[in-house]
Formats: sequence, C-alpha cells, structure tokens
Amino acid sequence: MSEIPGWVKALKPSGPQGSELLEHERNKSNIDVDQLSTFLFTREGMERKKRILDILQKEKVFDKSQNYFAGRIDRFETALARAKRLSQLQDAHNWTQDDKMVANDLISEPGPYGLHEGMYLITLRDQGNAEQHEKFLKPAQAYRHIGCYAQTELGHGSNVRGLETTATWNPEDQTFTIHSPHLTASKWWIGSLGRTANHAVVMAQLIIGGKSMGPHPFVVQIRDLKTHQPLPNIYVGDIGPKFGYNTMDNGFLLFNHVKVPHISMLARFSSVDPKTNRYVRPASPSLVYGTLTWVRSTIVMQAGGVLARGVTIATRYAAVRRQFQDRDAPEWEQGENQVINYTTVQIRLLPLLATTFALHFTGKGMMALYAANQKKMSQSANSGDSKRGAGPEETHSGSDLLADLHATSCGLKSLASSTAVEGLEMCRRACGGHGYSSFSGIGPWYADYLPTATWEGDNYMLTQQVARYLLKSARTVLKGGEPTNDTTSILSYFLKRQDQGAAFDILGSDSDLVSAFAWRASFLTFEALRHRDEQKKAWNDLLVDFYRLSRAHAQYIVVKNFYETLQAPTSELSSETLAIMHKLFRLYALHTLESEASEFYTSAAVTVRQIQLARTNAVMNLLTEIRPHALRLVDAWDFPDWQLDSSLGRKDGKVYEDMFHRAAELNPLNRVTINPYPDSPILFQNNDSASLKSKL
Amino acid sequence: MPDFADKLKPASPDGPSILAKERSQSDVPVDELAQHLLSRSDFLKRQEKILPVVSKDPLFNKTKQMNLSRPERYQLGLARAKKLRLLADQHGWDTKDQEMSQYLCDDVSPFMVHVSMWINTVREQGDDEQRRYWLPKIEAWEAIGCYAQTELGHGSNVRGIELQSRWDPKTKEFVLHSPTLTASKWWNGSMGRTGNHAIVIAQLLVPKSNESKELVNHGPHPFIVQIRDLKTHEPLDGIIVGDIGPKYGYAPMDNGYMLFDNFRIPHSAMLARYSKVDPNTSKYSKPANTAVVYGSLTFVRATIIMHARLIMARAVTNAVRYTSIRRQFSDRDSSDRSAPELSVLDYTTVQIRILPLLATAFALHYTGEAMHNLYEGTRAEIEKGDFGRLAVLHAQSSGLKSLCTELAANSIETCRRAMGGHGFMASSGMVQLNNDYLSKPTVEGDNHMITQQTASYLLKRMAAAVAGKGKPVDEVERDCREWLSKEHNRKMPTPKVLESDEEIVDAFRRRSRDQTYRAYVERDIKKRSWNSLLIQLRKISIAESQSILVKNFYDGVQSSTLSSPARKHLSTLFRLFALYTMDAEARDFAKAGAVSNDDLDELPFKIQELMAQVRPHAVSLVDSWKIPDFLLDSALGRYDGRVYEDLFNRAHRLNPLNEITFNPYYKNEEIIMGSGGGDVEKLLAKL
Repeated sequence: MSEIPGWVKALKPSGPQGSELLEHERNKSNIDVDQLSTFLFTREGMERKKRILDILQKEKVFDKSQNYFAGRIDRFETALARAKRLSQLQDAHNWTQDDKMVANDLISEPGPYGLHEGMYLITLRDQGNAEQHEKFLKPAQAYRHIGCYAQTELGHGSNVRGLETTATWNPEDQTFTIHSPHLTASKWWIGSLGRTANHAVVMAQLIIGGKSMGPHPFVVQIRDLKTHQPLPNIYVGDIGPKFGYNTMDNGFLLFNHVKVPHISMLARFSSVDPKTNRYVRPASPSLVYGTLTWVRSTIVMQAGGVLARGVTIATRYAAVRRQFQDRDAPEWEQGENQVINYTTVQIRLLPLLATTFALHFTGKGMMALYAANQKKMSQSANSGDSKRGAGPEETHSGSDLLADLHATSCGLKSLASSTAVEGLEMCRRACGGHGYSSFSGIGPWYADYLPTATWEGDNYMLTQQVARYLLKSARTVLKGGEPTNDTTSILSYFLKRQDQGAAFDILGSDSDLVSAFAWRASFLTFEALRHRDEQKKAWNDLLVDFYRLSRAHAQYIVVKNFYETLQAPTSELSSETLAIMHKLFRLYALHTLESEASEFYTSAAVTVRQIQLARTNAVMNLLTEIRPHALRLVDAWDFPDWQLDSSLGRKDGKVYEDMFHRAAELNPLNRVTINPYPDSPILFQNNDSASLKSKL
Repeated sequence: MPDFADKLKPASPDGPSILAKERSQSDVPVDELAQHLLSRSDFLKRQEKILPVVSKDPLFNKTKQMNLSRPERYQLGLARAKKLRLLADQHGWDTKDQEMSQYLCDDVSPFMVHVSMWINTVREQGDDEQRRYWLPKIEAWEAIGCYAQTELGHGSNVRGIELQSRWDPKTKEFVLHSPTLTASKWWNGSMGRTGNHAIVIAQLLVPKSNESKELVNHGPHPFIVQIRDLKTHEPLDGIIVGDIGPKYGYAPMDNGYMLFDNFRIPHSAMLARYSKVDPNTSKYSKPANTAVVYGSLTFVRATIIMHARLIMARAVTNAVRYTSIRRQFSDRDSSDRSAPELSVLDYTTVQIRILPLLATAFALHYTGEAMHNLYEGTRAEIEKGDFGRLAVLHAQSSGLKSLCTELAANSIETCRRAMGGHGFMASSGMVQLNNDYLSKPTVEGDNHMITQQTASYLLKRMAAAVAGKGKPVDEVERDCREWLSKEHNRKMPTPKVLESDEEIVDAFRRRSRDQTYRAYVERDIKKRSWNSLLIQLRKISIAESQSILVKNFYDGVQSSTLSSPARKHLSTLFRLFALYTMDAEARDFAKAGAVSNDDLDELPFKIQELMAQVRPHAVSLVDSWKIPDFLLDSALGRYDGRVYEDLFNRAHRLNPLNEITFNPYYKNEEIIMGSGGGDVEKLLAKL
C-alpha cells in the first residue's frame, strides 16, 4: 500500500474536536484531580508509577503497537523477551517487589514469570523450612530455578481434595514417588509451566503405608537446567490457546512414577518422619491456606482498578462520541448529542464509576484486616494451637477472626471479580461498534481478566463457604452467644429488632442506608437457616439462596467500607470533592438497592414507596449531579495512555485520529494486496507486511 | 511420538458412559423434535448433505486456527471462502446450501457482505436496468462488493453520516467527497482487502436547478462504486481504502475504512428503484415511502433472530454435555464420605444459569419462525407497493433483534463461565463463538439505541388508542384500545399464572401495555423530555419483545402436531422460560396488576421445580438441536463425551507452541533455546 496521501493527512474529525470536548468537560468540574489521586494511591505510589513508566517507555521491547495483531507464538515469544528484560531492569535499578508489580501493571499483560514470582517464591517462603529455603528458595530468587504452582488437574478444579496425583512414601529408600494414575490426573491450567518453568510445586495426595493423608505440596524439578528439556518420565507442555492470557504458557504435567527425595515435601507445617515413617500433623494447617486468602484479598483490591480502566475508556469516549440530535433540543443547538448526555448511557456508566471507588476502598480495608490477622495468627501459631481442623472448606466458631476474614474474602472475591468482569463488558458495549475493535483497549483487557472469575475458587462455588460461615454465626447468635465481631453484631441486632421491624431512612441518612444492607443480609441469613435447620432442606436445593445470601453479605461489606472511608477524618480531600464522593457512595448504594429491590422489600428493610423514590428520583438526580464531574473522576484513576493502550480512552480525546492512525499505518494487513477471485489459487499477490514491521 | 500418556485413561466414570446413561433415562423423542425445529428450508437435510463435504476437506480443519496471527487468519478465511465457492460450483449448491456450508465452516467469510447486503441491496434498490447489468457480475463473483454505510464518527444514525455525493449537472456525474476524517467509512465488512466494488451511502446534494449554485441535501442515498482495479486489485485514484485492524472477534473479516477525494462516478451509479435525479433537469424525485430504504436492514434483522437461536443452542449444548460429565465435590448431605463427586449439572446454582437458557433457545425458535413468516408476508406486500405493515415489522424487528441478540450473546458467556476453568480454553469451542458473536448487539443498530424505534412506535399507537378516533390502524393499536377499556380499569381478574399457560401469555401482554401506558403518561401528559425517559423507553421495548416471545412460544407449541412426550417437554420449557423471565421482572408485573403478589412470591420455588423436571432430559433436549461436532469444535461439548481425551489431545499433540523449546533464564539473551542469540533483535523488528 502506498504512503498516506496529503489529502488524507489534512483531514480532521468533523464538528467540535475530541480535545475540545474533553477540555470543556473538565472545565465543568472543580474536583482537584491530583488531590483525589493522592488520596487513592498516596503520593509515593504516584511518583513510583511515573518513575517506572519513564523507564519502560524508553525500552523498545515494551512497545505495544503490534500486540493486537500478532499470533500466539509471536505473542508468547515477545512476552518472554519482555519478562527477561524486566528482570534485567529490576537488577539494574534495584527495584523492590512493589516496583516490579507496578511495572507489570503498566505493561498489562500476563508474563511467563508470573507464577514464579506470584506463587512459587511465596509458597517456598511460607511453607518451606530453613533447609528447604537454602536448597530451593535461594536458587529460585536468583532465577536459576524457575517455578510454578501445580495444583488444579484436568478433571479437578476448585476441590483440592479431589486431586488424583499421588505422592507415595517409600520407607526403603526414603523417597516419594510422584505418579499420575489417570489422564484426568494431569496437572492443567498451571501458569508458567507449559514452556518456562524448570521446577514446580506439585500438590499431590500423600500416601503413607497405603493410607491417604490428603493433598500436600512437593517441590519437583521438571526440566533439565541446561537443555530445558523435560526430565525422563515427565510429560509437560502448554495447553493451547485461550480466550485471553495468551502471553502465558498455562501448562499440563504428567508423572510416570517419578522419585523425589525426602526434602521435596514442603515441611513447615507437616512432614513425614523418615525414621519412624510417621506423618507429623500440621501445627496450624489453616496457615497453609493463608496464601490463598491473601491472593483473594488482592483480587478485591485490584478489581476496582481493573474496572476503572474500562470506565475511564468508556466515559472519555462517551464524552467525545456524538449520536443523534436530541429530540427535544432547541433549534439553535445544532449537531448530534454527546452520548454521555443520554440517560441510558449514564445509568450504565456512572454506577460503575461509583463501583470502582467502592471496590478500591473495600480492597484497602481487606488488606488491612489481612495484615492484622497475619500478625495475630503468627503469634498464636507459636503458642501451638493444634486443635483446628484442616482446610478452608471448613470454618470454625462464629467468633473466630480467621473465619470472618476467610468468609469475607470468599464473598468479596466473588462479588468484586464478577462485578469487574460484567462491568468491563458493559463498558465495552457502551462504546457501541468501536468497542468491538481491539483498539478500544477494553476487549483484550477483559479477555485477560476473565479467568479471575474462575480461579482461586469459582465465584459460585465460593459462595457456599460464605453461607456456611453465616449459618454457623447465626446458630451461635441464636444460642445467645455474645457478639464478637461485626457479623455476629449485625445478626444479634436483627434478632432483637425483627419483631419491631426497622424504619431505615435510606433516602435521608447514609448510615441508615448501610444499616438497611446489614438488615437485608441478616434477614437472608436467618431465612436460609430456617430452610436448612427447621425445614431440613437439602444443601444442594439451597445453593441459589446461598449465592444470593453471599452476594447480599458482600454488598453490605462494600457499602460499609465505602461509608467508613468517607467518615474517617479526610482532611486530604477538599469539601467539594468529599461531597462528590458522598454522592458516589449514595449512587452505588441506592443503585445496588434498587437492582436487588425485592430482597430489600421482602426483608422489610425498606418500603415499596422508598424503592420507587430511589429509582425515579434519587438515582436519577444523582446521575445528573455526578455527570459534570465524570471526566475528572476518571482522570483521578491516573491511568497513563501507555497503560490503557486505547484509541477511545485517550486522555487528550483524539479518538478518531488515533483509530485512523492505527488502522491505516500500524496495521500489517494493509500491506498485503490480495487476489479475491475464487478461480485463482493466489491469495496474497504481494505481501509487504514484513517490510512494515522492519520500518517501525 | 508415542509416550506414556498414550496409555492413560480418564478416571471413571468416563464421559461416554455418563452421557449414555443421561440419554437412556429420557423419553425425549430426539429425532421428532429435531424435525420440528429444523425443517424450515430443509435445514436438517441440507446439514446432512453438506457436512461430509466440508468436514473432509483439510482446509476446514479448525483445531489450530486460534494460534494464528491476524493476517494469517484473514488469509485462511480468504482461502476457505474461495474454496467454498469452488465446491458450490462443483456440487451445484444453491444459495441455501452455500449458507449452510458457511455456517458449518463457522469462520466469518471475507465474502460475507458480498453474498448478503451487497447482492440484496442491488436486488432490492436497483432499477431494472441496474439489476440486469450488475446481478450476473455479482453472482459470478466478478464484481465483489460490500456495503459502506457507517462512518468513523457515525454509527446507528444514518442521517448523521458525512460523506457527500454532489450532483454535477455539467458533467452529469456525482462527486463523492469525504470532508472530514470522521466521514471515513468504517467497520464496513469485506471492504478492507476483499471488495472491488461498494454500495456507498452518502448525503445526496443536488443544485436547486441546473444553473443554481445552491445545494439541497436530500439525505442519505445508496451509490454503486467501483473501488479497486479489477486486475491489480489496487485502490483507484482518489480513494483510500484499507482494513481497520484487529477486533474482539471476526478475525477473518476485513472490516474496512474508506475515504474519497472528489471522486467522480456516473449517473448510473445511484441506485434508482425508489428515488432518482433526472440527468437532464437535475430534478430529484422522492421515494414513495422513505422507510423502504431500510428494507434490507429489516431483512438482516429477521435473519439475525433466526441465527441467534442456533447460537444459543450451541452454547447450551456445550454447557449441558460438559456439566453432566464434570464432577465436583461430594453431596454434602450424603453420609457416604467416599461417594463420587456430584455431576456439576446437579447443582442448582449451575441449573439456574443453564436450564433457563436452554428454554430460551426454544423461545427464540418460535419467534424466529413467526418473524420469518411476517417478513415473507410483508415483503410480498412491498413488492405490490403496499407499505402499510412495514411500521409494525420495523418496530418489532428492532426491539426483538435487540433482545434476542443480547440474550444470545449473554448466554454464551454465562454458559462458558458455568463450565468452570476449562471454558476459558479455545478448545472449549466457546471462545471464538463468543468473540465472533459479540459484535451482534451492536452490528445493524446498537441494541440500546434501536429499542427507541420500538418504544416510539408503541407510544404512538398508545396515544392513538387513547385518542380513539376512527378505526385502529393496526393490531397493536386495536389491542391498546382493548386494554384501555378493560384491564387498565382493572375490570378483569388477575391472571393465575401458576395454573394456566394461557394466563401467563396474558400476564405478559398486560404488563407490556401497562409499561407503555406509563411511559405515554410521562411523555405525552407530563411532557417529560425524551432523553430523561430513555431508560424507561428501553424497558417498554423489552417488555413488548418478551411478550411477543412468550406468545409465539405458546402458540407454536399449541399449534404443533407433536407427539405427547415432545409436547410435555416443550410445555415445561415454555413455563420455565416464561416464569424465569417473569421472576426477573417481578416488580413490573406487580405494578401492572398482571400477577398477584402471592404468585410472585411462589415463582422461585416453581422455577426450581421446573428445573428439576428438565434436568433428566437436558442432554436429550440439546441433542435435538443436532449441532454436529464439526460445528461445535469443542472438546467439552462433543457428542460422545470423550472430554478429557480430546482436551489432552489438543493440548499435547495439536499445539504448535509445544514444538519450541524456550530459554527461560533472564540473564541469557537467547529466547529460543540453542538459537545462539539474536532472537530479541528479530522480535524488535516486528514491533
């Protein structure tokens, strides 16, 4: 294809330019963007991002312009080159782990070292003993060992107990034999395993003297450190292309009677005594699952930011894009209406905008709770509390802080990631036809984020754990136990008041709004308890109720965290900004309440009249009040254009120029001239796409 | 290469035995039901005829295509499309056969627009001479065309497009010109690389008279334009045209952009069946009915609805078969600790996601059939010059298209997620399906925007019914009048939806009328602005469309001559679809007085009961859609249930990434093991 001719270069978008429209939008609001960003991310966090962005943008290997065009193999190869370069940069600039996480965020694609850094190192650190730290952790930190975490199998996902891979203890030579008895025992989905890792933490059923002791972690070398070929009797490879995540080599792994030494079993919490062949019980097995709880907490934290990317793109584009003339517009107002002025667009985007903040603050709250809990647990682990049962599937007494954290993390993970996933797709669709283009930046991002709704516990399966915990708490309360945490407090309150009823002023008082959410969650808890304990309904028949219950509880936690964040002394925010944040809180809460109206109504937390007023007046008014600030609010999320990689979401509003530039100039397909006639076997008459690549 | 994995089998019970058990426990007459669903235009017979031809040809092997880059996907798509045309010539396939081959091949064809919008537009909007000249060239695939309407800055709103076509009386030519960047044609399928012609929609500007310099804009009109050289296939001078780049899906399709720089086309280029410019006097004559310009758009919508049901059936087939085989966790109420894990489809949280969608696929079927009949009927009337029913058809088609495509698009993703982690794999067969289908909620009119057409139509009819002058203009107005005089005044008893299917239909009708009436009050009485009512307007369009779906489903089952087991299951599915939909919109039904509060409270239990009735027959019910394995292209949804063997085979043996050994150590510049370095430089050249 010839060069872009002058008459094309001279063309401009019609009507008001995107940059003018966005400037106009920003002038409508007096929110101090920098101040709000600082409140969200801290000054230090923002400076860190800027410092690292400067370094990355200078490195050609991180150039994103061909990402959307490349095939699977090219994408993986480039991702590996990027991962390597990033580690070199980490050495050169003495980056901390936090620095590297920011770099990964900015690059925004899953990388082949992802599971080495995200799971392998952490598992070795948390679950290995001193000797194992020396033997495994040190070479892993030096990237001589590159590892992954091999838990799920072809036939088994969320249920760890169902795993089929076995590790049989051999007393005669003090080794374990790792073996895959069936095809469904193949490890599957394991990130960084397919092509990258030379080691794996393998979760396998430990068998001693013919008796199964449940799943345990083993460190196994799987590839030769020189040739990188699989070791004998190990079959390993990449599982193939996926919806997203194609820069990651998710892998499969099979063992054919592979022997590993005694030291391979990670022994901080449980071990086999090589002299007596006896299984030494874990000191506090709950700690084993600490990693998973931590991962869930970060998922909640990230969900706000993940969604905010979609909302930023969709909101900016909705301000630039114009469609149809306003039917009621006066004659002197010429031209098509900005799409953001349509209430059908506002009702999709603005509640999502409110949700980004709600999730962010909730994530922050969760992380704080997690830190406090870790501190407490490491103290009690030393004092030798050995009576707990194993596993995250069973929680403990209703007053237990761990149980509360675990249940909260399950319910919130489920709600937050589902909300982000659905919200992103809604943002993509709100962009109209152009949302379907890869250049919108939403589609590929959505595809990479999607698996979060399944991994670390399927979002539906997880809700059973929340329900189980809430039912136990309710039983404790019914027996007259004193409230020891927030969950038991709200349940007790409900129990005391249920016969008097509640009169929450949801439209007049923010704290009443929070209480209405607590009331509805409590109501659903006791309803479920009645079904289960009095009516003796089958667990399986109640799963839909449990899902709703978990969702109600998680929504309460989110509303509560949002509210409390704004109640805390926030001298960091100007009064104007704080007022808008309060409106966002109300929009999130009322919009959620309205979408779940029947539960609120049935629980008698609110009246039908209140719901009607919330829908027709309160929410609509909030949309109008927040609308002028939408642009600045998304600006506060502080996404660099380089990170968004989106034509539609550009900060300067040059949407159409960028779409055209990418299509006409960066698109390798346009360097190809084809032969379209069916009787000719020629497909591509000439192909200059390679020369384009070398030019860029 | 043989290895120890060859001998491994999945843990028992294996997929084939599970599916065999599922099938033997059901009395669903699969073949009878298949005939019932798939007889229109001999669909099933055609499928049986074309499938062996296409599936035997290695060019249509789908297993590795998800690894390819965008240019490679286009190249493959082009090769396949050419091959399908050659096969059609060779086997003497008619148009419907060719559509079937396309459907089974399941790759978007770069010629898709050529065989649909391009040829249809010429056929419907060209005058006799234009048809005589163009149709043979088009049918021979010499004039390969596309349809260029939407622009970079303008989508659904045809009136807003910027491309100009100015009539020059001196040379008797039209001058096509793009005044701005946003005037660039954009998204137009088959245009980026494939087409050598285009139907171009442009604002027609005609001088007031032959001497006048003052131009009058007559709005958007279609023109036939050659855009590429027929030999070299290079764009003609004054035209810039190319592919717009990668998308969420639709990789083999070259959606394009196009700009014109004072490009001259002859008088004969303007499609002149309905409106024309006199070449001598420059006088413009109007079409009899402006709505006719949208005729082909309406046809496309009817087809989209028919297609949506097959898409849903496909997603549900994969989900039902795999969730029957997949096991997870033991039953908590079982006292036997060593009991096998439960089939995932036995979990009510999984049922509530999948089974209502199974019912919805059937619901769409009956409305698809009815729409098809209505379109055929209306088209015949238009041919006779009678445009009377076009308003009803257009209004219904936009609301229904919006609802049905949204239902289908969401169903794919819901099913995919219900399938757990493996649903994320390309080999689930759900990934390309999702990516390709997701364009539908925006293509041919954004779903949120076009519901306004339905709403606006309903409001007008309701206003006319309230005025009550003369005879009602159509059946909708007649029904509005009926409702105003009876149900609106609560003169009729509340329908008993748990007792009678007929009353379910009536409840949906009443709720739709009530919604329209409320919106009418807001708009016409309280004079609220159109924009402030958009959310409500969308809701009335959905309410009306749901009412149509429910009514057609009911009528379709009632009027069928099926055996009693088939009718029994269809009636259950009808109730599941209707009550599930009702539960989701319960407040509207309560407000309309269409269902009692007691009945609404009972709905969730009733739905669970209905799901329990459907569950044992789910596998047979999806079987009756007869989606071939070749089309499903899914390790998880295959008919024989060999899920894990296939997943493993695709990962292990059919995965090109596993043919490369990489060097993972970051201090080593080699990316590919043993390359000796220089890999990064090669990669950088591609960036």
